[in-house]
Amino acid sequence: MLATQEALNQFVEDTGGWVASQLEACTRCGMCAEACHFYISSGNPAYSPVWKMELLRRAYEGRFTLSGRLKLALGIEKPISDSDLDTWRTIDYEACTLCNRCSQVCPMGIDLGSLIHGVRGALAAAGEVPKDLEDATQKQIEDGSPLGVDLDAWKDRMDWIQDEWEVKLPIDVKGADTMAVFTSIELMKFPSNFAYIAKIMEAAGESWTISSKGREVVNFGLFEGSTEHTILFLKRIFDAAEELGVKRVMVTECGHAYEALRWTSFNLVQVPKGLEVTHIAGVLGEFLNAGRIKLKAGAMDDNLITFHDACKIQRKGGHIKEPRQILNILAPNNFVEMTPNREDGICCGGGGGVISIKEADQKRFDAFELKIDQMNEIGAKRVTMACSNCRLQFTDSVQHFDLDWKIYGLSQMVAESLEE
Amino acid sequence: MFEVALIIFVGGMTYRLIRVLLLGWGRDRVPAMGSKTVGVLKSYLKGILIWPFIPWVKDTFKRNPLIYVAGGLFHLGLFAVIFLGTAHMLVWKSLLGFGWPTLPLPIVDWMAAVAIVAMLALFINRLVNPVLRMISGPAEWLNWGVVFLPLVTGYIMAHHLWFGYTTLFSLHMLAVDMLLIYIPLSRISHFMFYFFSRTIHGTEYGKRGVMP
Repeated sequence: MLATQEALNQFVEDTGGWVASQLEACTRCGMCAEACHFYISSGNPAYSPVWKMELLRRAYEGRFTLSGRLKLALGIEKPISDSDLDTWRTIDYEACTLCNRCSQVCPMGIDLGSLIHGVRGALAAAGEVPKDLEDATQKQIEDGSPLGVDLDAWKDRMDWIQDEWEVKLPIDVKGADTMAVFTSIELMKFPSNFAYIAKIMEAAGESWTISSKGREVVNFGLFEGSTEHTILFLKRIFDAAEELGVKRVMVTECGHAYEALRWTSFNLVQVPKGLEVTHIAGVLGEFLNAGRIKLKAGAMDDNLITFHDACKIQRKGGHIKEPRQILNILAPNNFVEMTPNREDGICCGGGGGVISIKEADQKRFDAFELKIDQMNEIGAKRVTMACSNCRLQFTDSVQHFDLDWKIYGLSQMVAESLEE
Repeated sequence: MFEVALIIFVGGMTYRLIRVLLLGWGRDRVPAMGSKTVGVLKSYLKGILIWPFIPWVKDTFKRNPLIYVAGGLFHLGLFAVIFLGTAHMLVWKSLLGFGWPTLPLPIVDWMAAVAIVAMLALFINRLVNPVLRMISGPAEWLNWGVVFLPLVTGYIMAHHLWFGYTTLFSLHMLAVDMLLIYIPLSRISHFMFYFFSRTIHGTEYGKRGVMP
């Protein structure tokens, strides 16, 4: 109990002025709720982002502010207890994808996603992580993969992919320019992505490789909020990149991994000097603009198609233009936008580790109904995205709701419409 | 009394500012994709010029227009009264040593009325909205009351509605003193931290090359 309080306090202290200034700016107006897919779909006020960071506020005020201490002394505010941790574990891990759409509507511009990530960090420090997430993290620590795919199984899978799709996957090639890092979702659910990316790399004449050491890009430490584990998994990738002497690490279709490697790692670990981190969506744009790949114009123009903006790749990643550039080539007359879109896009509901928690299934499906509404509004039955986690949530939900949609990955579309 | 309240206000806010600044700020080593400066500029433009005046560009506006309209009008009315009402400008002039042009009394008067009505709407909204009901404790209600009192006493005084002028002037001043002393202890201080959170927001989004 005391240890828990300490864990929460320690977090606030470690993050310092950045967190404090944000907490101090909150007016508790509640507008953030209206941006949250979990609140909108359930109407449950406990899922409002402001409530999700309540523990952090209480810990901060109780330790650092006069009025907070006064409230504790007078009994207006209760000290944080074990049952509080239980409550917020459910709220913060199961009903938040850290998509940060709330920060877009906050009149004060508070970066709520980061604060909620902070609460997860404190919960992780107090040992309050949902069992499924904890198990997956353990597997990633021990086997190198949250799904338990060890090196031998991974090598078998690489062989199988090369046979099945008749492609060449360059493994552990020293001195290659680009090291592609894949997620376990691609490895197990969308293995064709390896083949698609291989085709694109070959067509562009890129010197590239896959590392057997840095074979897993998913970072369950980030989902947990545990800095220690986040660093552990980041280091595996950077060590592999350094060993192979590559110039850049290219995250394939994974949003959270991109967030971890591109936007978090530089402040957490020593990134090898000069190493660039990029995402396949950006690389596809780069290849197109340099004329290194050519797409068959109108190759997918037979029916309406739309694009789902992934929180970590578009809103938090900046790759907003490239997918649209591709879609405008492939489906110039039939590419329609959902509303809202781009940096205001509504999250799929499965990110932030939510999809790996069994107890969160119902919440995740409820949240997905917003996507169904968005799709119905424009009458599209085809959708594409640049994040495998979103794609898994989409394919899973399409099955759950029995929808006749077609779900594409962005690399898949590009690879299938390459001009020879 | 007013001077004492003013000193407590300035001292309290300075203390809070310094405390937050001293908590430590890590350096950001992440290579940027876009411009942080542009992000910050856009963040303020949106926060100060776009959203307050054309809130319907936001998707969430459709889901809860009342909070945008009432919240916006309340702030607009309050700022107009505090900075553009002649009587208040004279107080500022005596404190700062210089004055500025003000709005005609009927306009300020209307804006004060709008602010009062907006505050009442926000009060009811806080009672009814499930999220606001959940997050509101004694502090939130007290915040509302401490801001409402100076507004309403000032309005009654300006219109000579009830009581004598001197009584109301004392009540108004008392309410203002209470507000000044209370601000550093409460979330009403958000006007100062607004500049932190908006800057951070703009920096983060600008760095990532995304519209804040």
